[in-house]
Amino acid sequence: MTTDEGSPPRVVVRLNGVRKEYGGDARALDGVSLEIRAGEAVAVMGPSGCGKSTLLNMVAGLDRPTSGTIEVRDQDLGKLNETGLALYRRHHIGMIFQFFNLIDDLSALDNVVLAAQLTGSSAKQARRRALELLDELGIADRKNMYPAALSGGERQRVAVARALMNRPALLLADEPTGALDSRSGEQVMDLLIDLNQIGQTLLIVTHDPHLATRCASRLIEFADGRIARESSLERTA
Amino acid sequence: MSAVWRASRGAVKRRRLQTIVIGLVVMCSTTAILCALGVLDAASAPFDKAYSQQRGAHVVATFDTTKTSDQQLALTALRPGVHAAAGPFDEAVLTFSKDFLGSPPGALTVVGRSAPSGPVDDLTLQVGRWATAPGEVVLDKTCGQAAHCPLGSTLQADGAPPLKVVGLATSVSRSADAWVAPEQMAALHPTSAQMLYRFTDSATDAQLRTSLDQATAGLPPGALKASQSYLTLKQAFSALADSYLPFMTLFGILSLLVSVLIVGNVVSGAVVSGYRHIGVLKAVGFTPNQVVAVYLAMVSVPAIAGSALGTLLGSALAQPMLGIVFHGVETGGATPAISPWLPVVSLAGMPLIVALAALIPALRAHRLPAARAITAGSAPRAGRGLRVQRWLGATRLPRSISLGLAQPFARPARALMTAAAIVLGVATVTLTTGLSSTMVAYADAGPGTPQIDIQTGSAAAGQTLPKLSDAQDEAMLHSLPGVRQFAANASLVVHIVGYTQPTTAFFFRGDPPAASYQIVKGHWLDGPGQAVVGPMFLNQHGLAVGDRITLELNGHSADMTIVGQTVDGDARGLNASWPTLADLAPDRRASAYTLQLAPGTDTREVLNAIRAADPGLYAASASPPVGPTVAVVSFSSAFTVLLTIVAALGVFNTVLLNTRERRRDLGMLKAIGMTPRQVTAMTVTSVTALGLVSGLVGIPVGILAHRMIVDHVGVVEFTESMKDVWHPPQLAALALSGAAIAVLGALIPARSAARLTSAAVLHNE
Repeated sequence: MTTDEGSPPRVVVRLNGVRKEYGGDARALDGVSLEIRAGEAVAVMGPSGCGKSTLLNMVAGLDRPTSGTIEVRDQDLGKLNETGLALYRRHHIGMIFQFFNLIDDLSALDNVVLAAQLTGSSAKQARRRALELLDELGIADRKNMYPAALSGGERQRVAVARALMNRPALLLADEPTGALDSRSGEQVMDLLIDLNQIGQTLLIVTHDPHLATRCASRLIEFADGRIARESSLERTA
Repeated sequence: MSAVWRASRGAVKRRRLQTIVIGLVVMCSTTAILCALGVLDAASAPFDKAYSQQRGAHVVATFDTTKTSDQQLALTALRPGVHAAAGPFDEAVLTFSKDFLGSPPGALTVVGRSAPSGPVDDLTLQVGRWATAPGEVVLDKTCGQAAHCPLGSTLQADGAPPLKVVGLATSVSRSADAWVAPEQMAALHPTSAQMLYRFTDSATDAQLRTSLDQATAGLPPGALKASQSYLTLKQAFSALADSYLPFMTLFGILSLLVSVLIVGNVVSGAVVSGYRHIGVLKAVGFTPNQVVAVYLAMVSVPAIAGSALGTLLGSALAQPMLGIVFHGVETGGATPAISPWLPVVSLAGMPLIVALAALIPALRAHRLPAARAITAGSAPRAGRGLRVQRWLGATRLPRSISLGLAQPFARPARALMTAAAIVLGVATVTLTTGLSSTMVAYADAGPGTPQIDIQTGSAAAGQTLPKLSDAQDEAMLHSLPGVRQFAANASLVVHIVGYTQPTTAFFFRGDPPAASYQIVKGHWLDGPGQAVVGPMFLNQHGLAVGDRITLELNGHSADMTIVGQTVDGDARGLNASWPTLADLAPDRRASAYTLQLAPGTDTREVLNAIRAADPGLYAASASPPVGPTVAVVSFSSAFTVLLTIVAALGVFNTVLLNTRERRRDLGMLKAIGMTPRQVTAMTVTSVTALGLVSGLVGIPVGILAHRMIVDHVGVVEFTESMKDVWHPPQLAALALSGAAIAVLGALIPARSAARLTSAAVLHNE
């Protein structure tokens, strides 16, 4: 954790009265306010259409709120243009998705290196870092394989490696185990727990209570675009 | 409403942009193809069409009336092999010792006919009325300056009564120069009778000879004085149109190729990108045949709309294009027009091409298992061009650029078809640039100094006659300030021994005229008994530089040697040295002068000085010849614009399809920090490199096509300097034209890719 000794961890994400409406009366978020501190692992749960993925997209800067403010590391996302948001994601955010979203034409290693190459890192440095990550995630031997030849769990590990490539302040995960069998799902959960334990801030959107209770230290339950309940969690083994 | 139609309608509505692209591509392609086919069709047989419309005579036969009677001639119409005949008509040759109809002295063939219509050689009365009484004459519009002869003016031949011009007509058979009422003929002292025949077998000279022999078999020996075959006329008539054929054919083929390629690419891409939809259709119970039907119907809707609009546009554009191309081509009274079958063919043919292009991928979809089809686009697929992608990823290029460069390797077939379209587009641009440069060089050939053309006044045209003698005018013109060169010429209508068609000979003296700068072979006139001619003259007379000819006029003759060939020139005109004029018409003075002025000379001052010195000289600043240049440049530019649009639309479609297929990748790339500008750069790069490579391939193709055309124009034989039009800066610009076409087509979909909302894409996946 990157906290000063004796002081509470700094706020990484702050949402203040965030609303999101999609044409007509459809309201995905309805005045959501919350804070996420450095080193926290927050799980967001709720039924389909309750606004949890919209929340994730807002924090990632992939979507803009209709009203309200979103600050990530004291940076107001509303004041950034599209390029600014891209640079914000590049340097501060790592994302993992339910369906991995790897580029089929690139090998596992190249998929991971890609994120660093966008920041202008040297190819040598990027490759070294990518190999370290693949090694840490236990898939170094699969580095030259293409996504089509990897199992679901392996693909998600590659996606996690790619998300971590630029040492993001915040790792966002959208149903990270949703497309995996139970064994692969458990492996990914272990991975997330390990990451959080070494100080990585996590925001996980999921339907899966098991994932939430295993990986998160705080649970936010959503209903109809609002925070219905918030609770602290004791991680299960 | 059937399920197939409902699904097709839904697909058309849902894919509006794709539908519009298919419609636009088909529309532009149909327009280009219709124009190309229209010109090709009209060029292939303008003479035959005109001849058929006006029931032209296969043979115009002239008989000696002292050896045969009208009754005997009338009976020839009933002979075997004669399909139709007209005549006998009395025929006389009127001679003019002075200028007539704005032409130099010469002869005019007059025929007595009671009406312009008839079973053979149906004359087209262009202006005025038919000659119905003695003292009236109808002129052939193409004879001399007859087209500018006002109705009511009088024609005065030597030893003949005056004839009032009451009409202008055209004869596709060129059966006479003028027509009068039969009652008038006696006063014109006819010595011949004319019969006009259409034969059953008329395809070759041999068939025509046999048919004529059969028809005239019973006549006394020597009765047939002369005969003129329509095949000779055809050669003369079609020469100019035929000269356009090489590049019309090439542009036509280019249009067809580009159109078929793009249509195939666009349509097959539309089907391939719809595989997932195909899976859904199969999953809900559509049979494989119904799926094929849905896709064929889906592409047929914009294809039919596009071909209908393209046919309308093509028909509207083809007519003025034909007007430009056939400007100056003699087609009798017939107007070159697109054949009625062409719009029908394009209306039916283009949707058929589209359906065929869609059928191949649709049949693949037919065989595709529903489960595989439905996962298309979401399940990972085995990548292609992986080695190249890996190599590019390891280079120092910005990642957005290297990713863009790798994209064509992921879809090699689509990339190749797009590249082929760009190659043809660049080849067309190169060809047009080359042709324009050649034509401009051709038009600019000359001393490059201000020029003044002077005509002597003609009484027939109601102008003032020259006040000074020929020698005095020459001295006066030489003395004018700023005159650097002087040339004079006189023209005569003469006959070349061994050839029936009259020839206009121009006799030159003084400094070499502008034509002397356009010598392809041999040299300009530099002594007596010399002639210089154009390529068409040589082709049509079967002559070559170095051959000898004999000119005849009113019993005088002059032997000449062809010493040079000019770039172009009239098929019935030759340039000769001045001393030869003395052999044929000793009293003739120059009828035209040409002055080359020193640069910076006030042309207006010189013109005023000429008018003041001799009011009988009509001087004007020379304007460059524009006819063929305008035709070639207009025609090729129109096709270039059309083909460039079609090629750019092809690129647009390719990028659109790639963007759609890679939506997930684009969403992910944006999610990990790719900026909109980088997305645009990547997308544009994906086709720009293709465009550059295609440009490099297209340039030599265009240069080769240019060479093929300029070497086979026929009517013009360009000098090497006119053909050598390629220079490094121009080639560099052309090399960029492929990239320009690619960027033009890619920019809109690239910007739309940059604006893609990743949140929706990634979540939906």
